[in-house]
This record gives sequence, C-alpha cells and structure tokens, in this order.
Amino acid sequence: MPDEIPIAETPNAAPVAQSASPHSAPASDRHRRDALALTIAAAAWFLPGLGHALLKMWGRALIFFSTVALLVILGAGMRGNIFSRNGEDAFAKLGYVADLGAGSFYFVARALETNGPDVSHSNGDYGTRLLATAGVLNMLAALHAYEVTRARKA
Amino acid sequence: MMSPHQFRLSHFQAMVIFALLISVAFGFLSRRGAYQRARYIFWSFILFLVIGVGIGWAMYPFSH
Repeated sequence: MPDEIPIAETPNAAPVAQSASPHSAPASDRHRRDALALTIAAAAWFLPGLGHALLKMWGRALIFFSTVALLVILGAGMRGNIFSRNGEDAFAKLGYVADLGAGSFYFVARALETNGPDVSHSNGDYGTRLLATAGVLNMLAALHAYEVTRARKA
Repeated sequence: MMSPHQFRLSHFQAMVIFALLISVAFGFLSRRGAYQRARYIFWSFILFLVIGVGIGWAMYPFSH
C-alpha cells in the first residue's frame, strides 16, 4: 500500500516502555489526579478550609474555615442538638450525617456544648440548624476542592 | 446561669447571622473576583432577609 511508511526492523532496539504508549500516559495521570482529588477532599472534610489551602486558594480556605467555625461555635453556644450515631429515626440519622460533615469540628461542637442541648426554646432549635448548616457547607466546600483538583472547576 | 460559650439570640439576630455567613461562603464558593463576589454576597444577603421576613409575615395570619 503506498500510504504505509515502511518500518525498519531494529532487533537491537530496547523494548518500548508501557508509559510510552499514547493512551497509557493520560490514564495513569488521570488515576493519580483522582487519588489526589480524593485526598484533598478528605483533608477538606476533616479540617474546613484545608483542602483549599492545599490548593493554594487562600481566600476560600480562610472563608470556609471561619464560616464553619463560627456556625459551629454559635450552634453549640445556642445549645443546638448535636446528633449522635445512635439516632432513633431517619431525621436523627440524617442530622448525624449533616453534623458529621463538619469533620473535626463535630467533636469541637461536642466539647463546647458542656451543658447539653436544649431544644425546648427556639434558640436551641436555631442552634441545631446552624450546626447542620456548618456540616453541609463543609461538605460542599470539600466537593468543590475535589472538583477543582480534577480540573472541572475554577 | 449561662456559660461563657452560650449565646441567646433573637429570631432576627439569628436570621441575620445565618444569612451573612451563608452569603459570604456561597459568594466565595461560586464567584471569582472581588467585584463579582461582593455583588453576589450583597444580593444573596438581601434576598435571604427579604424572603425570610416575607415568609414570616405570610405565616402571621396562621399564628392568630
């Protein structure tokens, strides 16, 4: 066939490495990026703002840390309900998932709320919402850090 | 007696603090650039308050 370029046999040539293939290099890079994105998301969840700090997005890191911290301090100070893992109904279990979204700050909230929750007043009810908001917001920030690492968002 | 880490906020104070914190976080999350963020935060904050107070007034007749 005239279009084909003849390839000379080179018996002494070194075997072609796997990574030299045009398809394997981007795939391995993608796997590495996925692993990095998961690590950053886990860091962002564990300590609010840490994921963005690792990505050198200092403004976002500072804002997420301060916002989640303030929500947790206010929520615990207002004697909101911090759900535990032994939730009796679906709402308590959902509340636990939301609260746990704050990562290490979940335990900070538990430590701050020395007198226990008091949802008999509206203050305690608002506190419960603030604590859940802190967790959900932190999960959103962790998802954002994950997407940024995977180069899907700016 | 209230411990040093205890807060007692009115409904309106709680709503304003919530609206402010969430607006700032969403502004930084979804916008780039100082002007765009400030615009988003301002409008989000105002809408949180207006809609919150609006829903409050809408529920007023049912509480009496």
